[in-house]
Amino acid sequence: MTGLLALWPRRWPRERRSSATIALAAVVLLAIMWAMGRVLAFAPEPIGGAAEQFAEGSLVTLALTLVAGLLGVLFGLLAALCKMSRFPPLRWWADLYIWVVRGTPLLVQIFFVFFALPELVPGLQLSDFNSAAAALAVNVGAYNAEAIRAGIQAVPKGQDEAARSLGLSPLQTFVSVVAPQGFKIALPPLVNNVVALLKDTSLAYGIGVVELSNVGNRLQAATFLPVPILVTTALIYLVLTTVLTQISGAIEHRLDVEARH
Amino acid sequence: MSQVHPTPPPGQRLPLITADGVQKHFGPAHVLKDVTTRFYQSEVAVIVGASGSGKSTFLRALNRLEKHDGGRIVVDGIELCDDVKNLDAIRREVGMVFQQFNLFPHLSVLENVTLAPRKVRRTPAAQARAAGLELLARVGLQDHVHKHPHQLSGGQQQRVAIARSLAMQPKVMLFDEPTSALDPEMINEVLDVMKDLARSGMTMIVVTHEMRFAREVGDRILFFDQGRLLVEARPEAFFDDQRNDRIRAFLGQIVH
Repeated sequence: MTGLLALWPRRWPRERRSSATIALAAVVLLAIMWAMGRVLAFAPEPIGGAAEQFAEGSLVTLALTLVAGLLGVLFGLLAALCKMSRFPPLRWWADLYIWVVRGTPLLVQIFFVFFALPELVPGLQLSDFNSAAAALAVNVGAYNAEAIRAGIQAVPKGQDEAARSLGLSPLQTFVSVVAPQGFKIALPPLVNNVVALLKDTSLAYGIGVVELSNVGNRLQAATFLPVPILVTTALIYLVLTTVLTQISGAIEHRLDVEARH
Repeated sequence: MSQVHPTPPPGQRLPLITADGVQKHFGPAHVLKDVTTRFYQSEVAVIVGASGSGKSTFLRALNRLEKHDGGRIVVDGIELCDDVKNLDAIRREVGMVFQQFNLFPHLSVLENVTLAPRKVRRTPAAQARAAGLELLARVGLQDHVHKHPHQLSGGQQQRVAIARSLAMQPKVMLFDEPTSALDPEMINEVLDVMKDLARSGMTMIVVTHEMRFAREVGDRILFFDQGRLLVEARPEAFFDDQRNDRIRAFLGQIVH
């Protein structure tokens, strides 16, 4: 589908079109969240009467995505750096993290944080929302780690040599030269991970978080009307993922200095 | 075979770079065999030799992009070793221009030139910018400062790379086959910038296949063969030396 980027005049510089798109998408997202309860209230039953619940559930879904998404990028970056480290213990730790997280179901991880962690570490009883956010962040972090590592390693060696030969320290070289180029390469898979994360927040329903899927499921159990309820639920997810890909598309466009798109 | 050692320029006792018995192995391959030479200030030294002769490896060893595994290299009074502080200090003084330019593609031309002065020398942004604009004008790119590297021709990119190195005000510039990746019509614009630089008194060590440049601009030719520094000579002596089979064979392949 065509994106919001196409709305702006072609003569605008790349950064301005990108910023305008991000700003518009953010406004659209806020408008959707604000208007959802009011608009759905006009829908026929069983949706109209549950409009407020759908709106609140969507808000929880979005909050889970934002918190876990931001933490997940941080975890992914840390794990990627560990995996590329010269110190073997850090590499082992990163390998273990990625191996365990990618090799076990997300639902089990969410259950683990909510039910098992308090037993293993007395006093560490997180709320259902925090448990889900933590498990989701750890999960998406493992996938992000591989995307970020691949991006950084795809930056040509000559870039590192050029920066080092100018006298930049290893840290300056990473921050100013390698990371910006690696991030650009890593962005499409990172976006995939965040879109998958938004959908995966539905598993938080397993520990009783009242997010969008849970709202739909409870309503269905009460009314026995699965078709309108599940269609509404799916449509809301579709709207949210669409706005999300608009924002990420704009970021990609901004970084695309070589104007290949 | 005879080694022709240059006498240091009068009044100059201390070499800028000293290489003593430098060795380098890549696995079983012995790519630098006991290379010993000196480089003096304001000298243009041109390193020639067939591919695989070790000439690029030697050049890259001078700022430790390659680690030598035997002998000593001393640059500006500091011996090259794994000490990171020393290494960064040396690299600030030694500029390098690469065959593939290696410009930073995510930065504009001007940002490419000002990055290192700002980050490494802590030059204020306005001052770095003014110096960068001046350097870019010097290499004839004043009209392209806000473009990104991919919008420039190969010759223009290489001139930006030269300006980027000069922005650190190095004491010596290393050139690793700077025109080998260029289309023929762009070679001269880069060589002209290098000639200009030589005339300004810059100390230059140049690995190249451009024999006309070597003859016209070089103060000294270093001929590498199978990892050895076989001959050091003034250009006129080197190009007229028909007694040396290796040089004759090499020049026969290169000069038409």
